[in-house]
Amino acid sequence: MSAGVVDLTLWQLALALLLVAAVAIVSIRQVLGLERDLLLGSIRTIVQLYGVGLILAAVFAAARWYWVVLILVVMTGVATHAAVSRLPKPIPGAYRIAAVSLFVSTGVTLAYVIGVVVQVGPWYEPQYIIPIAGMILGSSMTSAALAGDRLQGELRVRAAEVETRLALGFSGREAVQPLVRSALRAAMIPVVNGMMTVGLVQLPGMMTGQILAGSSPLLAIRYQIVVVFMQAAATALASLFFVRLIAGRYLTPAHQLRRYLL
Amino acid sequence: MSDPIFEIEHLSLAYPGRRGPPMAPILKDVSFTVERGGALTLVGPSGSGKSSLLRCLNRLEEPTAGTVRFEGRDIQALDPRRLRRGAALVMQTPVVFEGTVRDNLRIRPADVDGDLSEARLGQALADVGLEGELLDRDAATLSGGEKQRVTIARALLGDPRALLLDEPTSALDPPNAALVVETVSRLRETRGLSIVAVTHQPELVRRLGGMLLYLVKGEMQAYERVGDLDVRLQAFLAGERAAGVADAS
Ligand SMILES: Nc1ncnc2c1ncn2[C@@H]1O[C@H](COP(=O)(O)OP(=O)(O)OP(=O)(O)O)[C@@H](O)[C@H]1O
Ligand SMILES: [Mg+2]
Repeated sequence: MSAGVVDLTLWQLALALLLVAAVAIVSIRQVLGLERDLLLGSIRTIVQLYGVGLILAAVFAAARWYWVVLILVVMTGVATHAAVSRLPKPIPGAYRIAAVSLFVSTGVTLAYVIGVVVQVGPWYEPQYIIPIAGMILGSSMTSAALAGDRLQGELRVRAAEVETRLALGFSGREAVQPLVRSALRAAMIPVVNGMMTVGLVQLPGMMTGQILAGSSPLLAIRYQIVVVFMQAAATALASLFFVRLIAGRYLTPAHQLRRYLL
Repeated sequence: MSDPIFEIEHLSLAYPGRRGPPMAPILKDVSFTVERGGALTLVGPSGSGKSSLLRCLNRLEEPTAGTVRFEGRDIQALDPRRLRRGAALVMQTPVVFEGTVRDNLRIRPADVDGDLSEARLGQALADVGLEGELLDRDAATLSGGEKQRVTIARALLGDPRALLLDEPTSALDPPNAALVVETVSRLRETRGLSIVAVTHQPELVRRLGGMLLYLVKGEMQAYERVGDLDVRLQAFLAGERAAGVADAS
């Protein structure tokens, strides 16, 4: 894109591989037993990123809205699977709950950022919507997984507290509310704390990428500010929907706790 | 002339498994009646389903068969929240919430009102043998027996018509156990409070009077008036007392 970018040849990539070799040497000498995983991880890094790169190159070239939508759907599917598989206890309906939460949180945030903040035209311009959607989905997925993990842990430890509240005549929703709150806090605190030190400890990945690609740092930080705020929004929305819906699975309409799911 | 507060007919319960068929039955064909202002004591070996039965009465548990009527109405037709305010359950393992004892005594759903004045809170504590100064204590710092009594006071402050007590005196020394039983019995006489209590303590059974239901492996082994217990039950209660003495030494 920009004239200032140093092209990376395959030869240079091979030189980067030496860094992994250094890690392998550490692993062997310290008997960490990580060599196999390291090899597999390196191969996957190369194959997965090349695969994605080829697909993105094709989509960028075609710039058709349906290809973009297809990619977004696939990304959401992968994120849904990842969020569900990080739940410590499987529960019925988890896939639907995760899919709905990620779809809504990502959809709302993405529409606002693309349509109102950045005002990309056309909206499906792949260069914008795909990386932005990726970042939003990533935040949504991480926070949903974090919140779900915390909620299930709280439910297991505090089941008697929930039932005591039910026995006092509280509704199911009221009875789990303190647990929901602590799960939401667990999911949101890292994001809020991250806002305190952003840029001071390390440059965020997207900003780094833009600067490397030749953007002016002052433009890069504007984008980064948008990114930080949109990730905060996605985190809040995704964890809220996910935790509320998951908590609902543990309650019956008769305000009972489904203890067999704990 | 009878005015039953609880009528239980052919109640059965099996806990649902995580997946697949429900697990082995916990309660089998249990039937009994509790008169308004009456008392029923549940006794039986550990694991016989006493706690599960209490949880069916306030619908924390869904029976697999049979009916429970509270004040003449099938509890399926009642709002569970109203049922539980009318029939307060004090659990076997006391749970206190974050906050002070006062917070714990005042906790209740937003749409419920009632007298929660300092005087009443103090009286509620006195009724279970606790000092008024305890109101400002962090509830987490209470001893086991103190927690147990706070949960009983908390249940009574909701002005229930029935009290479901799951081993309410298990963590108490004899004088405090006697005081709790005294309070409950007095409310039974003055306010017509109905009592369903699980206990292993023969003194509690005698003092409460009323009916006694002997449960073994979820089945009713006996259901009779406390005054004229048969030999088997007396032996069981005596055995419980012997076991209690053995535990204490
Ligand atoms: N949620 C549950 N899922 C499966 N089984 C359960 C569950 N709760 C209780 N049980 C089983 O049901 C049986 C009856 O339990 P319950 O707690 O009612 O006994 P109990 O008579 O109160 O015993 P104890 O005197 O020890 O308190 C026990 O075998 C117990 O293991
Ligand atoms: Mg029990």
